[in-house]
Amino acid sequence: MASCLLRFARQGLSRTGHVSRCSKVLFQSRYECTAAAETRTTVRPRDDVAHKQLSAFGEYIAEILPKYVQQVQVSCFNELEVMIHPDGIIPVLTFLCDHTNAQFKNLTDLTAVDIPFRQNRFEIVYNLLSLRYNSRIRVKTYTDELTPVDSSVSVFQASNWYEREVWDMYGVFFANHPDLRRILTDYGFEGHPFRKDFPLSGYVEVRYDDEVKRVVAEPVELSQEFRKFDLNSPWEAFPAYRETKDTARLESGDKKPEAK
Amino acid sequence: MAGVLKKTTGLVGLAISQNPHERLKVLYTKILASLQVIPKDAAYRKYTEQIVNNRLDMVKSEPNIENLERKINCGQIEEVIQQAENELSLSRKMAEWKPWEPLIEEAPENQWKWPV
Amino acid sequence: MATLTAAGRAGSQMVKPIFSRDLDEAKRRVRELYRAWYREIPNTVHTYQLDITVKQGRSKLREMFQKSRHISDPRVIDMLVIKGKMELEETIQVWKQRTHIMRYFSETETSRPKDFLSKFYSGHDP
Repeated sequence: MASCLLRFARQGLSRTGHVSRCSKVLFQSRYECTAAAETRTTVRPRDDVAHKQLSAFGEYIAEILPKYVQQVQVSCFNELEVMIHPDGIIPVLTFLCDHTNAQFKNLTDLTAVDIPFRQNRFEIVYNLLSLRYNSRIRVKTYTDELTPVDSSVSVFQASNWYEREVWDMYGVFFANHPDLRRILTDYGFEGHPFRKDFPLSGYVEVRYDDEVKRVVAEPVELSQEFRKFDLNSPWEAFPAYRETKDTARLESGDKKPEAK
Repeated sequence: MAGVLKKTTGLVGLAISQNPHERLKVLYTKILASLQVIPKDAAYRKYTEQIVNNRLDMVKSEPNIENLERKINCGQIEEVIQQAENELSLSRKMAEWKPWEPLIEEAPENQWKWPV
Repeated sequence: MATLTAAGRAGSQMVKPIFSRDLDEAKRRVRELYRAWYREIPNTVHTYQLDITVKQGRSKLREMFQKSRHISDPRVIDMLVIKGKMELEETIQVWKQRTHIMRYFSETETSRPKDFLSKFYSGHDP
């Protein structure tokens, strides 16, 4: 259908004489593109060569660092992920940074994920970029609320503020961090907002008080109409646990609604 | 002087090396020496020796800097020197960490299961 | 019973300590933090021009520490001490403002009605 339309448009274009030649060529090339990928949705095509390269490199890492690497996987979008033991953060990151065949010199992102019912509820995720080989890698490790994680500032300067952010938002303590303090929340703020058990409304509300002539913070008191909580989590997090709404449960004796 | 020396590497903080061949030879022999501490069957030693020997041969056989850069194919010669320095510090740290030992601890069950 | 405690001990040794290896060390850190706050309070009252006396400040400090006196896990204590140290630093460097300091005193909060009659008088749903 789309290609039909395009062809029609092309003919129309070539008939109207005043269109410059340049734009016509451009249009043609675009047309070819759409015709080739017409039947598929806009998903990146599977790249087997890159997939193989990445898995080979993953095996290379796992072979060199068997002490720390627990699992290596390449996702369907060609993202290489290395799962490591929390003791191995500094060795693995240093290896990826300094080894001649890796040279992941750039820490693009560091963050955490909270999955409350796991034994180690926080996943710490490091995203690295190698400019030399134009490739990316993701290193994952785990911890819980009270287990300190080694700070990676000695390897990547960039992780300084990222680790402060993770500390502030999740309450993961980074040992040997040069300057660990809050970065996003207000002074005197209590709790870690990105934890899944942190209430959406927070614990305190802030207002200006005329009597004491300053801003005061008081425990949140929701009036009745705001207390009707939608129990579906606002975080679209765990699809395996999501209830499908539209499938009405039919008893075996019931008639199907569309059979009427 | 081999060929015309360039004026700059074009990279901030990376100065021109006056005698890259000697510097690289020194660094590579140092790396090979520090790898002697690591057990022979360790994968890190195997692969790194392979890389370093390969590059050392090229450095020994090719006097012209530009040709050498093209042969190594890993950036300018100054960058290659930097890579060698990093590898040297890494190999010394590796001897301390002993990453060729078996896995310290398996991940708890379902730790890496996704989607949960 | 004996095996149970042995297992418990092994378990407690397995976990990675934050700073303190045992309860005594954790308690020492708490006392250090308490002393540091205790000494800092006169300066705080002066620099922030607070409308409280030093004595009031110190009794509030004592109250805040007493709040968590039931905690006996050295790791939890360590975590609280770390947070307390950060608060102290924020106070010393005057990153906080008066409102943040005075939040400890919660002057404007009215206590929630507890028994039936006072709930009824306030006309407030529980």
